[in-house]
Amino acid sequence: MTEAIDPRWAWEPYQPSAGSPWDIKKVGHLYRRAGFGATWPELEEGLKTGPQRTIDLLLKGGSTSDPLTAQMEQSIIQANNGQQARAWWLYRMLNSAHPLREKLTLFWHNHFATSNAKVNNAGFMLGQYDLLYRHALGNFRQLLQEISEDRAMLVWLDTSQSKKGMPNENYARELMELFSLGIGNYTEADIREAARAFTGWEIQAGKAVFSPKQHDAGVKTVLGQKGAWAGKDIVRICLEQKSAPYFITGKLYRFLISESVPAPRELLEPLASQFRDSDYNFGALVETMLRSNLFFAPAVYRTRIKSPVEFALGIARALEGRIGTTSLGLKLEELGQNLFYPPSVKGWDGGAAWLNGQTLLLRQNLALDLTSTENNQFGRRTDPAALARKYAKQGDKEVVSFFLRLFLQGDVPADARAKLASYQQQARGHSYPVYWTKEDVDNHRVRTLCHLVLTLPEFQLN
Amino acid sequence: MTNRREFLRNSLASGALVSWGVTVPAFLSRTAAAAPRADRPGAKDTLLVVIQLTGGNDGLNTVIPYADADYAKLRPTLRQDKAQVKKIDDHVGLHPSMSGLAGLLEDHALCVVQGVGYPNPSQSHFRSMDIWQAASTAETVTEGWIGKALKCAPATGTFHLTDKNEGTPLALAGAPARVPSLTALEDFQLRTAAASSADKKQQRALIESAAQVQSGTPNLLDFVKRTAVNTYDASRRLREVAGNYQPKSPYPNTALANRLKLAAQLIDADLGARIFYVSIDGFDTHANQATTHGNLLRELSDAMTAFYKDLAARGHKDRVLLMTFSEFGRRAAENGSKGTDHGSAAPMLLVGGKVKAGVVGAHPSLSKLEMGNLRHHTDFRQVYAAVLDKWLGVPSRDVLGAEFRGLEILKS
Repeated sequence: MTEAIDPRWAWEPYQPSAGSPWDIKKVGHLYRRAGFGATWPELEEGLKTGPQRTIDLLLKGGSTSDPLTAQMEQSIIQANNGQQARAWWLYRMLNSAHPLREKLTLFWHNHFATSNAKVNNAGFMLGQYDLLYRHALGNFRQLLQEISEDRAMLVWLDTSQSKKGMPNENYARELMELFSLGIGNYTEADIREAARAFTGWEIQAGKAVFSPKQHDAGVKTVLGQKGAWAGKDIVRICLEQKSAPYFITGKLYRFLISESVPAPRELLEPLASQFRDSDYNFGALVETMLRSNLFFAPAVYRTRIKSPVEFALGIARALEGRIGTTSLGLKLEELGQNLFYPPSVKGWDGGAAWLNGQTLLLRQNLALDLTSTENNQFGRRTDPAALARKYAKQGDKEVVSFFLRLFLQGDVPADARAKLASYQQQARGHSYPVYWTKEDVDNHRVRTLCHLVLTLPEFQLN
Repeated sequence: MTNRREFLRNSLASGALVSWGVTVPAFLSRTAAAAPRADRPGAKDTLLVVIQLTGGNDGLNTVIPYADADYAKLRPTLRQDKAQVKKIDDHVGLHPSMSGLAGLLEDHALCVVQGVGYPNPSQSHFRSMDIWQAASTAETVTEGWIGKALKCAPATGTFHLTDKNEGTPLALAGAPARVPSLTALEDFQLRTAAASSADKKQQRALIESAAQVQSGTPNLLDFVKRTAVNTYDASRRLREVAGNYQPKSPYPNTALANRLKLAAQLIDADLGARIFYVSIDGFDTHANQATTHGNLLRELSDAMTAFYKDLAARGHKDRVLLMTFSEFGRRAAENGSKGTDHGSAAPMLLVGGKVKAGVVGAHPSLSKLEMGNLRHHTDFRQVYAAVLDKWLGVPSRDVLGAEFRGLEILKS
């Protein structure tokens, strides 16, 4: 087991020091956790400007209105096309001027894990996306209140079917178990009572409508509080529970800090207190974590398994290619992360569960498709050879260093580096098709090398 | 209080990581299928297919107590017409869409275990699923019952046949080598953009050498490397399996049937694979369940039937055992949205040439409910115990951590 981490030190702002200097590994780490990975210019710029200004930039983000996505939105809603919705979101992630906000929207999508497999309404799904995006760095209380009345959620957990006299327990249960408190912090009786409070919601002509006639206005006892509660009151009561700030803080810790370094209650305590005392200001919680000593500590470096989205977008962003996200959406489904279609209401398990035999092979093969330029789905839009030329990287040694630095900040075993360099040498001697020019061969060697870099086990880690 | 998910979240660094498999694979070798010692029960090259019904299967709409007057009262809109029910005996019958399994009953190849559950049942999908997969009600569970069984019998070839978008089940954690997940044979190969076959070899060697585990400490990088080593090994062996499998009996074109067909193909390839784990999702039927649930039961019944018939035609009738389970059954009374909320006790279905045909145990009483839920009379670990001791030849005590009296589900 690792030694206990001092909670006070952990959440104080990180300041570069001789013992823990600001280096390219930390820039890469920051961009992977707070976004979808860095481009070459972002790495170089981040290294120059230091942690404060880089984090400022990530928190603030740029303007995110893109006429193309607005146009796509209308067509998705009209066609009720869930696959297009998925491609639309991937396009936003890939091209966003505010990657942190997209990343946290993904966090909330995984938290409120609503699937279009049941909702079957792309408009409702985009509506929920908007809600999550609006509050992604905002207030959790507000978000939890609004999600309880969100159309996609009303359908997903059957609130829209829940009537006075015979309530449906689905939403009340997951509100407590998965959205706010965690198992063990409520009873079955609390769920049955809370379910009564959420009766009365319906979808009429595409809108969420509260119908008082269908609502059970009687007295309910929920988590020790007795009254003629409505849904809003249940949300308030949940957020008054001691476990609520810990539950959300622990989940964000796993998302931003580490999947493998334990977060005991003492470690989370300062964050949970801040979260509760700020009346659930989630944006401030994110900022505290990102600026913290622990965030940049060696103990939590590479202690997450990349999600499929992080894996694929990390490659596409670094290669600076505007790839087609419809094909990418399909690939991500195979890798186990089908956006807008989480496998269950608890979302994706993440961590070790991302990687099994099949998904590992599919990841390596996707890396090949994105680097080879021979794949008919991704074509030449992400070309490592073009990228190396763009940044004037020449000669085998320089090219090997460039890709290792771009994707892994050079942090790989010496043995792996040596093997890559020696392969690159040997590849000169391979027999290539006779009609290939020298340039064809050089490009091919660069692309192959890039693929081999991406197959290193270190690249699976975040 | 910590559940498995939080535990995994919090301590991937230590024990939990180990539970995903730490050694290099010994599975899939031809010796695994070599002549078993006939004097040991269950060691006769038996096959087990576990089918997980994800979401909480409505047992009362699967094995239906059509003769009970309370049944119609509890299910005013969802009840099945007595005449349509596929009768097993004078009291219970299968859902009308399960004609395939009803046919297997006539072949003496279907066993229905009624009233299965465990004490103090949880109505959380995730906690209850963990309990069933770990075969333990301990607060923190990190290993699965099949994973633990593989510790006792490490050379037993095991596959998780997975759908897209589906994680690795806890049931398989704890195995000495990581159990590979497999969606499609054609996708289970490492591709390279090689100039020649010599180049291809070099690239593969480079990729595989990077996965060699150096340190002894279980950290995430080690986990990635061990997964990679197992995968590259499995992939190499699966290259030998012929792409074109001709079933001896037709399979319907459903997701579940396709996965069972893949299992049949792997069995036919004689790689030593003996245990298969598959899931079918969608059983969380809180609203308007009549059609949805009927379709799910049809998919389940038709797929199990097709697989059994295919294997029987290949002479494996007495080698094969299929077993279904779900995290819980559903509330006895339907809710106001023509669906059912989370419940507890439910039936398990077993198919194979060696099962004790018919019903094992009585249907739980519809009048003596507990918080509106059916009470269990049989612990699911009694079913597991029988499967472990008598079918797989693995001492159930080592897996279940306690003595559970094996249920009489197999012909003696």
